[in-house]
Amino acid sequence: MNKSAETSEKKGAVLPIKTSIQDSIKDLLKNGIDHCVFDAVMIPLRVPAGDSFSYVLIKNKSLLNDAFPLPPTMSVQGAKAVSSVTRLGNRNMKIAAVMRPCEIRATIELTKLDQTDLENIILISMDCPGTMPILDMVNEPEKTMTLFNDATKSWDDTQMRPVCQICDKSSMVAGDLHIGTLGTDKKSFFIIPNSTKGKDILEKLKLPLTDSIDSWNKKVKENSEKKLKKRQEVHSDLKNKIGDLTNLLDIFSQCINCHNCMRVCPICSCRLCYFDSNKVKHSSEEYLQRAKDKGSIRILPDTTLFHMGRMMHMSLSCVSCGSCEDACPMSIPVAQIFSMVADETQRLFDYVAGRCLEEPLPLRTYKEDELHEVEDVHG
Amino acid sequence: MTEQFEPRIVGFLCNWCSYAGADLAGTSKLKIPSSLTPIRVMCSSRIDPVLILTALLQGADGVLIAGCHPGDCHYNEGNYYARRRFAVLKKVVDSLGLESDRLCLSWVSASEGQRFAEVVNEFNEKIKKMGQNPMKKKML
Ligand code: SF4
Ligand code: SF4
Ligand code: FES
Repeated sequence: MNKSAETSEKKGAVLPIKTSIQDSIKDLLKNGIDHCVFDAVMIPLRVPAGDSFSYVLIKNKSLLNDAFPLPPTMSVQGAKAVSSVTRLGNRNMKIAAVMRPCEIRATIELTKLDQTDLENIILISMDCPGTMPILDMVNEPEKTMTLFNDATKSWDDTQMRPVCQICDKSSMVAGDLHIGTLGTDKKSFFIIPNSTKGKDILEKLKLPLTDSIDSWNKKVKENSEKKLKKRQEVHSDLKNKIGDLTNLLDIFSQCINCHNCMRVCPICSCRLCYFDSNKVKHSSEEYLQRAKDKGSIRILPDTTLFHMGRMMHMSLSCVSCGSCEDACPMSIPVAQIFSMVADETQRLFDYVAGRCLEEPLPLRTYKEDELHEVEDVHG
Repeated sequence: MTEQFEPRIVGFLCNWCSYAGADLAGTSKLKIPSSLTPIRVMCSSRIDPVLILTALLQGADGVLIAGCHPGDCHYNEGNYYARRRFAVLKKVVDSLGLESDRLCLSWVSASEGQRFAEVVNEFNEKIKKMGQNPMKKKML
């Protein structure tokens, strides 16, 4: 997880794909358990009903057969899963956590927020073709499985969530090991270490780092440049569409204040959110006063404040994972809006959420000589 | 706007500098617009930007945050953090197409009564030109 470690100098191991990439990843994980490089694996499993996935902690390697290293949909954001297992410390068990790149990036942000203990966690990511809307799986499980399977081969993202279609970080390596499927001959895949921990594991598994990953790098660069361009277009369209107060209020006027978006957000980890606290509960006198001031008052109030407040509190760590949008019962494009705002706030500090553990959270540090453009020009 | 528009400005003033600066302006009989509602805080860093947003969304025509000059914060570094948060807040407001010019961050020391009066007057004039905060009459 070193920012300065240039990926171009890096080498990886190449392994053959026997039946499918998912199976090959599972073989690798079984191998890891056999060689005691980790004691357990945290990985998505298809639920018995077949219409969703859930993270599970697997110690028995035969159970790995039913796992899905890369499921079509994202149920619980992986960072939340890691946090729930390690938040109170994790001394005894080495866990390999297999997740999408945005889940790993959220895990890194949560670590900076003291919500995980990564000491015994090995973060394994893979090139992500995108995630399908969570309800697709509920509504049409088999069709969704097939469509997703095809997409992992064609890299066609038209079935993916809107926020995935504009994700330029779908191959970002931020964890310990990364599985690269881009830029290969489809019969093999790369394993790319990104930390000493990752390197040690490959050593123990006797996977020598002999191969250049240039072809992967090249393809990743191509892919992310293409996506970045689209991201900027979509964000600027969105910005024009919002554009002013009336349009902004129109978009959020559908909000039913369920706070699902906040509850599923991996970054929103406060024990008590300000927007659930008594601070935003008003007396009837206050309601009346506000109704008098404004002409009328929406009940429940403070919807816009909630969204803007959340942007203020967490957009610097937003990884554009799309969980909020998946969870919104009103189909408000929450993740698209948040990703737009997040790109802008993060750019202020040349910060990319979850890029690396060593980069401090922008609001926990400062420079003495900066940001004079936001200061009052007087005098 | 037919009638003369009198803005309402909420001012979060740091106890150790700007609030004292405001006091000094008062005792020096400098003219400070009555549009300012001062709120004393212990440091510019003690203001959660959500409170600034609250003022703005409830219809304050302007919000002023005034703290000690960089390097002079009573708690050494509070105003540096405040400046970062203010930059994020302005960016959030801007990126949604709202008027971030209604927000102002200024540094005023305890001895700068004159400066305090000028900062408030200038901001007040600017807000007068901008007119009423459109959020004043919106259900949010
Ligand atoms: S999930 Fe959707 S409806 Fe619920 S609070 Fe968030 S934006 Fe509003
Ligand atoms: S705001 Fe939405 S997209 Fe951003 S991290 Fe939270 S859930 Fe993911
Ligand atoms: S004490 Fe005045 S800004 Fe910190």
